[in-house]
Amino acid sequence: MKPAPFDYALATSIDEATSYLADGNGEAIVLAGGQTLMPMLSMRLARPELVIDINGVDELFGIEETDDSVIIKACTRQVTALHSEIVKSRVPLLHKAMHFVGHFQTRNRGTIGGSVAHSDPAAEIPLAALALDSEVELRNVNGSRRVAMADYVVGPLMTAREPDELLVAVHLPAIVPGVTTATSFHEVSERHGDFAVVAVAAHLTFDGAICTKAAVAFGGVDDTPVRIPEFETGLIGETLAYGVPDAALDLISDGINPGSDQHASANYRRRVARTLANRAVSEAAADARGGA
Amino acid sequence: MNEHPGANLKFVSRKRRVREDKRFVTGTAVFAQDVNLPNMKHCAVVQSPYPRAKILSIDASLALAMEGVRYVLTGDEFRANANDMKFGLNTPEVKWYPLAVDMTRYAGEWVAVVVADDPYTAEDAAELVEVDYEALKPIIDPEQAYEEKDRLVHPAHGSNVLYDGHFYWGTVDEDFVAAEERLSYRVRWGRSSTVPIETFGVVARWDEAVDILDVWASIQMPNYVELLAATLRIPLNCVRLHQDVDVGGSYGVKRGIKHSVIVGYLSRLLRAPVRMIEDRLINMASGDAHGPDRIFDTQVAFNRDGKILSLKIRALDDAGAYPGRAPFQLAKPISAIVGPYKINSVQYDAISVLTNKTGQVPVRGFGQSPTNYMIETAVDKVARHLNLDRIEVRRRNFINHDEFPYQIPSGSKYDSGDYHTVLQKALDAANYDELINRRDAARAEGRLAGIGIGTCLEPGGGNNIFEYLMNPSAEITTFSEGAEIRVDPDGLVTGVVGTTTSGQGHETLVATIIGEELGIDPDDIRVVHADSLNAPITRSPVASRMAIMLGSSTAAAAQKIIAKAMKIAAYNLQEPEDDLEYVDGSVFVRRDPVRKLTWREICFIAHKAYHKMPDDMEPGLQAQHVFQVPGGGQLPDESQRVQIYPCFSFQAHIPYVEIDPGTGHVKILDYAIGHDCGTMINPDIVRGMVIGGLAHGIGAALYEKFAYRPDGQFESATFADYLMPSVYEVPMVKDVDHCTPSPLTSHGQKGSGEGGYLGAPAAIASAVNDALHPMGVSIHELPMRSYLIENLLNGGKTDP
Repeated sequence: MKPAPFDYALATSIDEATSYLADGNGEAIVLAGGQTLMPMLSMRLARPELVIDINGVDELFGIEETDDSVIIKACTRQVTALHSEIVKSRVPLLHKAMHFVGHFQTRNRGTIGGSVAHSDPAAEIPLAALALDSEVELRNVNGSRRVAMADYVVGPLMTAREPDELLVAVHLPAIVPGVTTATSFHEVSERHGDFAVVAVAAHLTFDGAICTKAAVAFGGVDDTPVRIPEFETGLIGETLAYGVPDAALDLISDGINPGSDQHASANYRRRVARTLANRAVSEAAADARGGA
Repeated sequence: MNEHPGANLKFVSRKRRVREDKRFVTGTAVFAQDVNLPNMKHCAVVQSPYPRAKILSIDASLALAMEGVRYVLTGDEFRANANDMKFGLNTPEVKWYPLAVDMTRYAGEWVAVVVADDPYTAEDAAELVEVDYEALKPIIDPEQAYEEKDRLVHPAHGSNVLYDGHFYWGTVDEDFVAAEERLSYRVRWGRSSTVPIETFGVVARWDEAVDILDVWASIQMPNYVELLAATLRIPLNCVRLHQDVDVGGSYGVKRGIKHSVIVGYLSRLLRAPVRMIEDRLINMASGDAHGPDRIFDTQVAFNRDGKILSLKIRALDDAGAYPGRAPFQLAKPISAIVGPYKINSVQYDAISVLTNKTGQVPVRGFGQSPTNYMIETAVDKVARHLNLDRIEVRRRNFINHDEFPYQIPSGSKYDSGDYHTVLQKALDAANYDELINRRDAARAEGRLAGIGIGTCLEPGGGNNIFEYLMNPSAEITTFSEGAEIRVDPDGLVTGVVGTTTSGQGHETLVATIIGEELGIDPDDIRVVHADSLNAPITRSPVASRMAIMLGSSTAAAAQKIIAKAMKIAAYNLQEPEDDLEYVDGSVFVRRDPVRKLTWREICFIAHKAYHKMPDDMEPGLQAQHVFQVPGGGQLPDESQRVQIYPCFSFQAHIPYVEIDPGTGHVKILDYAIGHDCGTMINPDIVRGMVIGGLAHGIGAALYEKFAYRPDGQFESATFADYLMPSVYEVPMVKDVDHCTPSPLTSHGQKGSGEGGYLGAPAAIASAVNDALHPMGVSIHELPMRSYLIENLLNGGKTDP
């Protein structure tokens, strides 16, 4: 094979998958949609001893809603989330972000859980999940736990998931009646569908014309998707009718730590993070005014 | 020649289905990877992680100990048993072996090849080959490489300069003194390429019983069989290239000679067929598939009316570590060095340097696209400098329709053209006046909007004389192409093509032209690709040459068939040939058309009824013709003036772009093209070439770059980093054709495979700079990535 040799296990239940993980001694890896893992295997950048295929685990598919949340099971295809009426009406930020995720071919296969599990710092789904204060549900043979997205992403492609844990669902706070919520997702990439050079996800709550709660996540500008508490605080109490105050925008540069590569310099990413944050927040605020 | 062919043509220029489509759409085409032979062995390569390093030792013992591993080949063994690969320059100390010998010269260079019973074992074993290196500091920057005396890519060569040529055509110095205005500028063309869907693949089998090396390869390369034989030290007629495998895309880069000599050598040594298929990482990093990488420093002398008098051009091209045919990509542009313009004199300094990067290969246009970008930049700059309209400056400098054939300072005689009309057609297609309103309205709203004007010449059908220009020991003055037509006793016709095909539609071309000449429905004509031992003479489908060369040789062969049919008919009808007429296969007595010989009767007589044949006539009905390049056959004169290409197609591109001022991101919103390749043999094929070429040009203009870090590491081995335009980045195109027939070809046809790619980068750069103009900045390097543009808008000069 192109990949280095590995053993393959097809799981048919969560219990089966977690027991494979428990036996894997940290050398097992979970195969969901394979849109990242398969190239990494073929390039021999990932060299697991065991690949656990969860595509046959029915209980890992589906989108559910409660009064205050939407639960997306880990193996739900990205295309399903993109076209989900539940996601569109109750987690509009994720719906907006989904348009930037890969191409229709990759979305047909790629999963919500796979993207969150991998947590590429420039990927859109973890970014939206972070802006939404989502929780990641992890399970091993002993039980399950939920980890806040902010605690889940700990470093470049590193997460709080233990080697024996399976990501089974993402719990996303949903829009609830009577609260004015506005969202916006902005991204720069050279081509449609690329990983973001810079992406900004904004999720704002308004009381009348006044912003009362702000969550803005930045992607592509640090080792992980990041939030900047001082910047968010700077939005609260503002109408944002004339854009984001410079005093708040000025806080962004120190809140991120972008790198330089062949696609953009660190300075470019800093400037564009500021530009996109202003656009995303202003657009969300305008939406809120229009919808209020 | 008819200015508006069509009325008297049955099949040529008619919209007819492309016959090759069926096998591609139904998935029944056969590629090199589909060739599976009994007992076939498979290869994996060991690549150097260092851009420049001494090879201290290679230990393959662990790999050889693996079950299923048959052999590990190193550069030392190959050098001891085969020759280095010759590429045409007179640089004997720049030796190119398929595997590194003594030192590695770019990151990813092949150091060893592992052969195993299956490709998976080979991949696993390749990881077990232990190579000890002593890393050396690489030379990456081409300007530094040009000056460098100690850090040499090929130390025995004595410098990093492969070629340093100086051309001076006409009264350059006088024209610069006389000109009312002068300006100078630098443009840089980034290292990009064509990246086909199919990577390179090859299968070789040595047939001991007949001493023949059978080869199936994804190849598009002149002199491939000659180079294979010479490198492997076997007679030329011991190599049989099977040309009936399809090539899954190329536009110049399918030149896996390195791969081919390896499997050729191994198949003979191991007495088993050996296959090598590149994976994408190898294709991108070390498959010898990068294109030109070029810096132009240009000076323009012109008058205040916009008339350009003279150009001084210095082109510095980064050939990478092994030149292949790369340096000659500096020479093709000599054939159209002034573009479609009347420019009195030109100085051209062409420099090719070695660096520690992947070797450069020919890419669509063979160096013409970078050069066209440089020329069109000159015209835009002259217009800007004089505050004249860019279109008006082009019109004032264009060669007029009634001035053809027109000889330019470098000796090229352009065959025909109507540049004013084609540009006007493109402007009309673009709704130019409305486009200006749209741009100005966008600007009034604070957006950055721009219209591009770009034209290009596409030289087609060349004669290889550029090799002599750069290496006078190579007295090669032709680049001919043969065709063969066989008619069977049932009257059914088969055309024989002597090359592989990589999507150009040669079978449609040949069937259409035979059909036109013989008056037979092309759908009833079979076309086959002969192997290289059976094939008519060919120099391969490069240089936009097949419509010109294969089309004309096919037409001439068909005329030989008709001539023989006429003789047979004259003999049997007992009438002089002058009184007979050939119509759609049958031969009639003109004054008494009831008396005739049908096609079936003629074919039966030719094959079976020798008693009805004229005395001493050769039995059968078949013909070959080898077409010589029109205007070729001459060495350059004392001023190095020479005709290289016979036919010159023309395109005009009008893109409309907007740029996001906050991010520097360019979006192409509209695009119009006017194109003139003379008579179109098949309009759909031409349109596919034009629009595909445009997409390719968008990649070069905005996205695609094989990037190297200053330490020589290669950064663009995947499609996450080498960014090709997708359907989202390629706009809908309004294309309009025009026909100025060539007087030099069978039906007035010219080349059409390259023009879209030649015109687009220049035109898109023109549009981007038009959009940036109100901000007082301009960009002069490709690809024009967002971060570069945003940096300019932020007033940045360095550290983008």
